[in-house]
Formats: sequence, C-alpha cells, structure tokens
Amino acid sequence: MNQEIFKINNLKKSFGTHQVLKDISFKVEKEEIISIIGSSGSGKSTLLRCLNLLETPTSGQITYLGQDILKPKFDINHYRAKVGMVFQSFNLFNNLSVLNNCIIPQETVLKRDHETAKNNAIQNLQSIGMSQFLEAKPSQLSGGQKQRVAIARAVSMNPDVLLFDEPTSALDPEMVDEVLNAMKKLAEIGLTMIIVSHEMQFVKDISHEILFMDNGIILEHGSPYQIFEHPKEKRTKDFLKRFLKNV
Amino acid sequence: MKNVKRTKLILSLIPLLFTLFFLSRPVYAETKEFKVGMEAGYPPFNWTQVDNSNGAVKIEGSKQYANGYDVQIAKIIAKKLNRKIVVVKTVWDGLSPALTSGKIDAIIAGMSPTPERKKTVDFSKPYLVSKAVMIVRRDSRYAKAQSIQDFKGAKITSQLSTFLYDLIPQINGVKQETAMNDFNAMRSALQSGVIDGYVAQEPEGISVQNAINSLKMVKFAPGKGFKTDSSDDASAVGLKKNSPDLEKINQILAEISPKQREKLMKWAVTHQPQSHEKKTNWFINIFQKYGSLLWQGTLTTLWISLFSTIVGFFIGLVIGIIRTVPLSKSPAKRLGQKIINGFFWIYIEIFRGTPMMVQAAIFYYGLAQAFKISVNKMAAALLIVSINTGAYMAEILRGGIESVDPGQREGAMALGMSHFQLMRKVILPQAIKNSLPAVGNEFVINIKDTSVLSIISVTELFFNGQTIAGQTYQFFQSFFVISIIYLFLTFTITRILKFIERKMAGPKNYNLMANQIQV
Repeated sequence: MNQEIFKINNLKKSFGTHQVLKDISFKVEKEEIISIIGSSGSGKSTLLRCLNLLETPTSGQITYLGQDILKPKFDINHYRAKVGMVFQSFNLFNNLSVLNNCIIPQETVLKRDHETAKNNAIQNLQSIGMSQFLEAKPSQLSGGQKQRVAIARAVSMNPDVLLFDEPTSALDPEMVDEVLNAMKKLAEIGLTMIIVSHEMQFVKDISHEILFMDNGIILEHGSPYQIFEHPKEKRTKDFLKRFLKNV
Repeated sequence: MKNVKRTKLILSLIPLLFTLFFLSRPVYAETKEFKVGMEAGYPPFNWTQVDNSNGAVKIEGSKQYANGYDVQIAKIIAKKLNRKIVVVKTVWDGLSPALTSGKIDAIIAGMSPTPERKKTVDFSKPYLVSKAVMIVRRDSRYAKAQSIQDFKGAKITSQLSTFLYDLIPQINGVKQETAMNDFNAMRSALQSGVIDGYVAQEPEGISVQNAINSLKMVKFAPGKGFKTDSSDDASAVGLKKNSPDLEKINQILAEISPKQREKLMKWAVTHQPQSHEKKTNWFINIFQKYGSLLWQGTLTTLWISLFSTIVGFFIGLVIGIIRTVPLSKSPAKRLGQKIINGFFWIYIEIFRGTPMMVQAAIFYYGLAQAFKISVNKMAAALLIVSINTGAYMAEILRGGIESVDPGQREGAMALGMSHFQLMRKVILPQAIKNSLPAVGNEFVINIKDTSVLSIISVTELFFNGQTIAGQTYQFFQSFFVISIIYLFLTFTITRILKFIERKMAGPKNYNLMANQIQV
C-alpha cells in the first residue's frame, strides 16, 4: 500500500443553517488521482476548499501525512505551500508578469533565492509551452494561457498534492484541451491530484478513483470502470445520462 | 522586480517622513526678542510693504516688512526695553489667542482696551486716542451727515470683534449689516454699494480719503457722535495677564509727548501705501511689484499640498492595511482589532466631518490657549493638512483594497502567503494603482484647500493675495491673478497625473517578438 496523504473523517460544513457537506469520509494515497464529480451545488468545491482550509470545516477531521490540520496552532501557510490549488477563475496576480507570478510565491513563502526560483519557474513554464510569454501580464493572455500559467505557478512550489477546482469551466471550448493536456503531463510524473471537473472523458481516462457527490454526501465511489460502466445508484445513472447527453 | 524595489523604497520612507514630522516641533519665543503681533494690513496703524524703506521692520517668517504708526511705537518700546523687535503678522481674531498662548509678547495693533478684552488681556495706558467716525461714498446722500442719527435706514457695518461694530445700534432705525473681517473688505463693499457706510476710527478715515477719491470721512461734533467709553477710543498695548513688562511700557509711553504722537500719525498717514501710484497695466504692475510675493505664496502652497498629500497617503495606507486585516479567531485579539478599528473610524469621521479651517484654528490657537502647547505656524499647517488628508486617504485606500478581486487574495493564500506578504506583493500594488486617480484628486483639492490656512496666517498663495489686495485696493485684479495661478497649478498637475495613469495602464496586447526572452 502506498503512503497515505489525506484521511478525511466525518467532515461537515455548514453556511449558516445550510448544510453543504454532511459527513464526508475518504482517503487519498500518494500518487493517486482522485476525481470528484456531481451536479452543481452538491458540495464538490466546498470539499476541495476545506482541504485547502480556504473554508474552515464545521466538524470532523482532516489529517495530512498523519497530522491534524484543524488543530489550533497548525501552520496553515506552510501546509498550503505543500498543497497547491488551481482555481476556476485562475487567480493570477494581475500586477505581476507571468514569470513573476511563478517566482514571487517561491521567494516569499519558500524563501528560495531569486536564481533558483527563476530557473524553476522558467522550466515549469517551458514544459506547458508558455516560455514565450514570460514578461506578459495576465490581462494580455487568453483564458487557456492563464490557466496553464496558474498550473505552472502551483507546480513551481513543488507541492505534494495539487487540488483542481473546475479548472476548465471558465474556458472557451477550444481552450479546454491545452489545459487538460497540461494536467495529463502532471499525472504522468506521478503527482497526487484531487480534481473537481465536468470533463467526463478526461476524468474517466486519468483517474484512479472517482467520487460521486450528491447533496453533500459521497453517494458512490469506485474505479472509473465501476462508476461509468456499472453505476449502482440511480442518481449516479441519472447524472451520467444527463451529462453524457449534453456533451 | 522593479515593482518590488519600489514598494520597498516607499515602505522605508514611512519612518523618515514621520521623523520629519516630529522634528518640526513646538518653537518657543526667545526671551531676548520682543514679539509684537499686528495685522500689518490696517493702515495707517500698520501695513505690509515689500522693502525696508522708512524704517520698516521685517515680518517674522517672510520676506515682507511691516510699517506704520504701531510699528514705530513698537520700535520705541523695544528699544527702551533693550530687546530686539520682531513683528508677527497675525489676523485680527488671532491676536488675543496668539498673546495668551505666548506666540507673541504684545499686541500693538490699534487695539482698544475694551472691558471685554480686559478679561483676557492686560492693557497699557493708551498710546493713541481717536474718535469714531463714519466712512461713506462722496456722492451719497450721507456725505453731508452731521449726526449719527442722519444714518437712519442706512446699511452700516464695521470690523468683526471690534467695539466699533457694537456702536452701530446707537443709530436709530439703522440697518446693521454683518460685521466684516477687515477694512479692505469694507472699503470695497462701500465702493460697490453693498453698504452705505462703515464705522472706523479717525486714522482709517484720513487714510481712506487719501487713498480712494470716491470715499469720504464724516466726523461728528461733540454730542452728535457715538457715545463711547473712554477706553473705546483709545489704542493701547495688549500684554499677557500680569506681565512684568506693563510697568515699564507705561513709563515708556508716558515719555512720548502728545505732539510727538501727532507727528508720528501724520507721518504714518502720508507714508502708507497708496492705491494709484502708477498708471501702467494693472496686470503687469501686480506681477512686477508683487512677483516675489506671488512666487513665494505659490511655492508655499505647493509645498504644503505636496507634503501633506504624501504624508496623508502613508497615513491612509497604514490605516487601510490595518482596517482590512481579517478579524482574528482569538477573542482577545479580535477585541483589540475592534478597538483599533473603532479608533480609526472616529479619526476619519471627525476629520472628514469638520472644516479644515476649524481644525487649523483649534490646533494652532486652541491647543496653545488650552494646554500651552505652542506650535510653529508652518508645522501646524503641514500637520493639519496631512492629518486631514490622511482621513480621506484612509477611505480612498480602503476602497482601493476592497476593489481588488477577492480571487487575488485567495490565489495568494492558497500558495501559502501570509496576510502581510500577500498585501505587499499582490493586493497593495493593485489597490494603489486603482486608487491613483482619487489620490491625485486629493492633491489637486489640497492645492485649493490650503487657502483656508490663511486663518492661521500661513503665507500661502491666498494669504499673499489678500496682502496684495490690501495694499493695492485692486481686489478684482489681485484675486483674478491669484485664481489664474491656482488654475495653472491644478490644470498642470491634472495633466501630469493623467499621463502617469496612462503609463501605468500599459499596452493591451503582448508583443511576442519584442518581449521574447531567450532561455
């Protein structure tokens, strides 16, 4: 068995009286790629944001490499440097060039010296085909280019895990593939990834395990083959039918 | 990386600026000097001139000189006291506060020892006695008046905070107008027909007749004039309560004979600045004669507004950063945060909710009077405008910070940046850029608003404009020139700011060829 990265137990999250996550439990192992699917409002993004502590869970446990990340004195910033996140809306720093977007976080958070950070950034931008745009500002890039830079920025921190929150949902259809290809490359080098996505074919091809979320719980989980070819639950079948027809 | 260095530079400037601030601290009068307060704008008692001719005395903190009856009396007193005379130009209403707060040693400004004033100021024996008269237009029906009762139905005023104004109700059926700030204003109001006459003392009457042909002094025979206390008609030296100088000054004044006083007053009336000296173009004339005054006023205005905008910007920045720190989870820290934010809120509300003119008056005169804290005029001006600007900047920058897309903060947090790191590297550069138009606007507003500092006699552009108007009697012309200078300053600065904004916006498209880096 591989090393255990995440262990989530009885995780709950409410916004006011609205319970978004109702008792979530699962594990993530090293080099594993887990995809979370489900309709809008099922709690996928909230779950991902809880893992990164952008949202504070109402109750339950999350351990990362055996450490309780919800304990009061936990070093959140150090942890976040190890667990990268790629957002639907890119969130590139608008005031910084492509290159500096990838350099500054390494310098400020990881205290890397400028040369090391720069070389690392250039290497990562090169591998996703953005080396021509080092001095460009985010406002000068297309959506697909922005998302590739966001991925290079996250990878430049040399994280243990990368979280993807609907990375292609805000993109024009012709730009989706360039981002998915970049993610496939990361999968090939064995990075642990947790992906929330509506790209069913991609999810099916890349994942080791798929979680189907419905109304705040994990209704069904299993290998891509199990979920896509032999779903047990009726709601999973309905979801897939609806989604595959729309694609 | 340029951006990073710039931010570092700016941050390192903050302590420097604050040090500068507190270096300009209270300045106390030296004992060897005899500081005399006067308006230097009330001929023939006292006036301002640009050179030291006819035994004029330099005005403290400026390149101008004061002269007149009061100045000559003050010189005699200072000489016999064996002290060095210093003239402090102060607005009329600022004289008593300046004296009680120790900014000046004596008021010699044609001031009458009224019972009201005696409550706060000790007066010497009079150094001049003069009757109350009425100034009217030569062509008006009041020009031939014999008694004060002939002014029934006339619109009459006088100077604010003088006993002269309180005499007006003695005229039956008079229309008492709002009191005015100085004689210059009353002269032009009278000329333009806004009022029918104003109450003044004889020396002013002689002066105005000499200066302006269309105006005339009406004197009243005994029993037909205003009934006054003997103290009202007199001018005396005002001193701080229980001043040790009083005895000596009374002695010195007693040694000046009535004949000598009369001679001095005649001299003053003939030597006071005249209105129509040259018949050249008034525009060129003002620039030729008062160029240095205008230039110095412009520089002072620019310096105060620039300094205050920069310091106010940093005050606003610090407050903006602190106010946008997310509330802590620990209850004790959260309470602390709330107290600090409440304090900032009060500061912003007070300074945005009261006029800067009032703030300046409270800070300069009020503090001195109530707590004996004496502050140098310029330091007071810089401090007040800075703090006032800071209150506006705090709101501008808070808005700037909040206008940055929340995704920027989340993106930075997800990478592990602390609040301070993400503020410095990501949020503030964008917030400041967004706020730049409003910040520039504050600078332009400050250029105009520094004119209210004339209340504490700071020699900025408007104050110098008043001085020029007071000497030339050309109100329209003087203030027209002043407004052109203001317009030139604000227009030029607005253009410069627009240019900077455009530069900062940068190109929309990325030029692949020009920006390619070989790797």
